[in-house]
Amino acid sequence: MKCSQVQDKLSAFQDGELNPQEQERVSSHLESCPACRERYAEMEKIWQALGDFKEILPEPEFYGQLVKKINERQANRIPAGFQWLFQFFSSPWATSTLLIAGILIGSFLGNILAKSDLFPFQQNQAAHSQAAIEVFSLKAFDPIPPGTLADKYMRMASY
Amino acid sequence: MTRRLDSVSSEDLMTKTGEGDELAFEILVRRHQTSVLNFIYRYVGDKTMARDLAQEVFIRVWQAANRYERKAKFTTWIYSITANLCLNELKSIKGKKLVQLEAEEKERQNTNFEAQSDASQSPEDLLLAEERSLQVSEALQCLPENQRMALILKRYDNLSYGEIAKIMECSLSAVESLLVRAKKNIQEKLIFFKK
Repeated sequence: MKCSQVQDKLSAFQDGELNPQEQERVSSHLESCPACRERYAEMEKIWQALGDFKEILPEPEFYGQLVKKINERQANRIPAGFQWLFQFFSSPWATSTLLIAGILIGSFLGNILAKSDLFPFQQNQAAHSQAAIEVFSLKAFDPIPPGTLADKYMRMASY
Repeated sequence: MTRRLDSVSSEDLMTKTGEGDELAFEILVRRHQTSVLNFIYRYVGDKTMARDLAQEVFIRVWQAANRYERKAKFTTWIYSITANLCLNELKSIKGKKLVQLEAEEKERQNTNFEAQSDASQSPEDLLLAEERSLQVSEALQCLPENQRMALILKRYDNLSYGEIAKIMECSLSAVESLLVRAKKNIQEKLIFFKK
């Protein structure tokens, strides 16, 4: 085995991931080649040095805090069966579609109602037409009849 | 009851958790909390974030318990959850990370004696050990994310290439290649230890 071939396999050799034959061949090469042996020794040294990274310990209340968080999330959870509704309304396109659909339905219904006889002004159409005729006939500008309350008010106001 | 469940495999505990057995879940958490916490800590380099994310991992385990299928080893499954969570978290906080790491470094320098330490060590030895731990942490943080993950899973969790490939959702040859590059890069970063 050539040095370059061995060096390509050193990492897998170190991790014990070569098949038994390859593991054996690399091992025998290392015994006979000082350069590859030195390279492997350096790799081992670094591998050992990585062990200096100290572990941290979980806090004693880790599990208690976890249970608290799980309970909080369960309490805030949307009831089953309604989740699709919240997911639907949370998307902007769905909200826009609903808004447009609302406007269209509103216009359609308004149009139907306007054509029907459901509104009060349409039910008393005759009375409303009479009132309109009076307003537009300029009767409001006729002289005030003497002796009426309006006449007295106008006199007081003119002093 | 607890003692009886202590000898139960994590896969069985997970199945029991799915059936609503809270004691099984507690044992599962206590069994894996240190490894999950330290995997995240080594990956993100931040204690506070590691503690929060470790809790998030177990919340997801609880939520997924009733859908759990025994296709893979429990450790592979939980590390997959952990790895995905770490990757997503780092993506979302990339801008803030530097500031947090600086704060964390200060905290570590001031209060790192809470970490596991041998009581028989002298203060000088402890200080030196802290210094080395910090250097390793910094060197790991310099590695690209996928190299760092592969290296942590191999070095600290002693997982096989096959397990790492499943967790990282890549091929065996990709894992091998990642580890070759990770080892080369970390060697350059940790030149101090070669002396």
